[in-house]
Amino acid sequence: MIEFREVSKTYEGSDSPVVNDLSFEIPEGEICVLVGPSGCGKTTSMRMVNRLIEPTNGEILIDGEPNTAMSGTELRRKIGYAIQQIGLFPHRTIAENVGTVPGLLDWQKKRVTDRTDSLLELVGLDPGQYRDRYPVELSGGQQQRVGVARAMAADPPIMLMDEPFGAVDPITRDRLQDEFLNIQKDIRKTIVFVTHDIDEAIKMGDKIAILEEGGVLAQYDTPENILAHPNSDFVSSFVGADRVLKRLSLLKVGDMDLDPPNGYGDSLPSLYEQMSLKDALSEMIGAGEDRGVVYAGAATTSGEKRGSLTIDSIRKLSHRAEVENLTGNDA
Amino acid sequence: MGDVFQVFLRDDFLTLLRQHIVLSVAAVVIAVAVAVPVALAVRNTRVGAIIAINIGNLGRAIPSLALLAIALPFLGFGFWPALVALTLTAIPPILINASTALRQVDRQVLDAARGMGLSEGQILGQVQLPIAAPVIFAGIRTSAVQVVANATLATFIGGGALGELIVLGFQSANLSVQIGGALAVAALAITTEVLFGSIERTFTPKGLQIAQKRRGK
Amino acid sequence: MRSLALQAQPLIDWAWISANLSDEIWPAVVGHIFLCSLSIGIALVISLPVGVLVARYRKAYAPVVFFTGFLFSIPSLAFFAILVAVPAIGIGFRAVIIALVAYSLLVLIRNVVTGIDSVPPETIDAARGMGLTPSQILFRVELPLALPVIVAGIRIAVVTVIGIATIGAYIDGGGIGELIFNGISRGFFTQVIVGAVLATALAVIADLLLLAMERYLRPWARAGRA
Repeated sequence: MIEFREVSKTYEGSDSPVVNDLSFEIPEGEICVLVGPSGCGKTTSMRMVNRLIEPTNGEILIDGEPNTAMSGTELRRKIGYAIQQIGLFPHRTIAENVGTVPGLLDWQKKRVTDRTDSLLELVGLDPGQYRDRYPVELSGGQQQRVGVARAMAADPPIMLMDEPFGAVDPITRDRLQDEFLNIQKDIRKTIVFVTHDIDEAIKMGDKIAILEEGGVLAQYDTPENILAHPNSDFVSSFVGADRVLKRLSLLKVGDMDLDPPNGYGDSLPSLYEQMSLKDALSEMIGAGEDRGVVYAGAATTSGEKRGSLTIDSIRKLSHRAEVENLTGNDA
Repeated sequence: MGDVFQVFLRDDFLTLLRQHIVLSVAAVVIAVAVAVPVALAVRNTRVGAIIAINIGNLGRAIPSLALLAIALPFLGFGFWPALVALTLTAIPPILINASTALRQVDRQVLDAARGMGLSEGQILGQVQLPIAAPVIFAGIRTSAVQVVANATLATFIGGGALGELIVLGFQSANLSVQIGGALAVAALAITTEVLFGSIERTFTPKGLQIAQKRRGK
Repeated sequence: MRSLALQAQPLIDWAWISANLSDEIWPAVVGHIFLCSLSIGIALVISLPVGVLVARYRKAYAPVVFFTGFLFSIPSLAFFAILVAVPAIGIGFRAVIIALVAYSLLVLIRNVVTGIDSVPPETIDAARGMGLTPSQILFRVELPLALPVIVAGIRIAVVTVIGIATIGAYIDGGGIGELIFNGISRGFFTQVIVGAVLATALAVIADLLLLAMERYLRPWARAGRA
């Protein structure tokens, strides 16, 4: 678990802080995304966790202990580090790159090899093919995967990731995000994830910390709550004017109270329990209907009819959240 | 042409050859011992590196005969003055290449190394130096070839070496000795170039060799 | 030379300098500058068309680069020694010019080729697409873009040539080297020092001037980018 306690950073010769009195806690096993516009101090904050940058004020605690309790070098060997430009060592093979930290920790050779191979497989690269290649021989997407594998190599409980999927095209990025979320389901590491993209934050984060310019914490909450109840104009506009729709993408058809399936015909669009409300809305609007029939399961399977859903009920749900938001928000 | 061949069989040939090699090797070794630590010292400072590189560039422009000549009034004739002057000519290429190479290592790679927990010494030894090695060696190669050529001039301030054959042949109008000396020195220079070329390849990490090939080097 | 006893003397005899300024020192400098300019001029005139040709015919590139690199490592005194042995050439001005032109060609051809090579193919493609003829592309696109690299080559050539020309004095080529060699054989320090300082000054000034030109042509020039 990572705790920021009144952390500030001002650079010498500058009047304005880059990070301003940051205080929040990241529960163990969760991904906390630091997101905000340029100059909001998100990367600086992340780099203070592994002391690549030292705070001017405040402290950062890891599992209750200040992160200054040991030397910077020792600390960093316990924290995974993945950056946007990846920074693979060009003069070393993929296997040697991945095995860097285990090597520093004096693991036995066999253990390193086994770990490297299983990590490469985990990130979708065939070890037999890739372990002896050099970074220059790999594509951007492949290098990014190696970067993630390298960060996980010593099985650190904490990982810092600074736009780790940033250097590739959107399609590859999407895939890498999905695959990483899948991996995280099993490994449950505590992750500090930095991005400037609110959509990536919503997708990846268990918690999101929105930072304003000048390093001020604007809001810290689950993606759902931030979308439903933004606490300021800044947050509202940062998450985007389509905030309501974004929130609908987080909720599933199966979460809704459904009307009974009473003999509604095949002319109505088919919806599935696993479908997001946003996609369901999209289907119904596209079909020109107010209602859709809900089946069990995900889009490709056809299970039993579970009920029906109206556009109206979705609209009422969103509106209710907005009303709560407005009335709870007159500070 | 047979007369030219006779030159290589002269009594003094091997002595002069040895002098030439000793002068050259000593100059390069001392130059490396001076230039590389300086480059290491300025590797993380922008101003320091710029100064080092500019000194190197200026040094490279100075005519080698001028350096040898200026040693004469201050250090006199002989082996040591020649060595000092030759060492000074050997430093610039190494200083320039080493300083530039160390600073040109990708900042992101260094950040990743630091972030993963490599200590400063480990970053230098495991990442920065290996990546900079090919360019540093190219500098040493340039310097070595240059020194072998400049050592030919050592004869003018009493440093001996193969240049003496050329001067001897020229002054006594003995074409064979003149040409023999010239060929010997040329052969030595070319051999140095080839030798260092292959040493350079040995010191280039495989990952960087592949990258070079891809860039069509 | 080695057996010459070096008499005690002041490092710099200013009286000698002012006495010989106009009939020995200045002509040496002028002669030196003349030698170098002439050789670089000739080399440029030859290397530009040859370089362009080599850049066009890729097959010639590798052997040319190899050959020029190979010749460049030959020590200049050795090169002189062989040149003057050729009856038609002999010692003097002619041999030095030939050597200076040869060494400059080695550098300049390589840099002309590299410079033209460095022009992005997309740029040439765009030029062709806009309807420029091959010679227009050469003079309006390729050469201007190759200019920084060519000037870098001129800089290396000039500095090299100034250095080799000092050695050329040994075979009666004239120039500043004459002061150095005369001074050494007479054991006269002032002459040696004047010669060495002048040669160095000439080389350094030329280097800085050409560096400034290089920077002007390419503001992101290598030397300061550290």
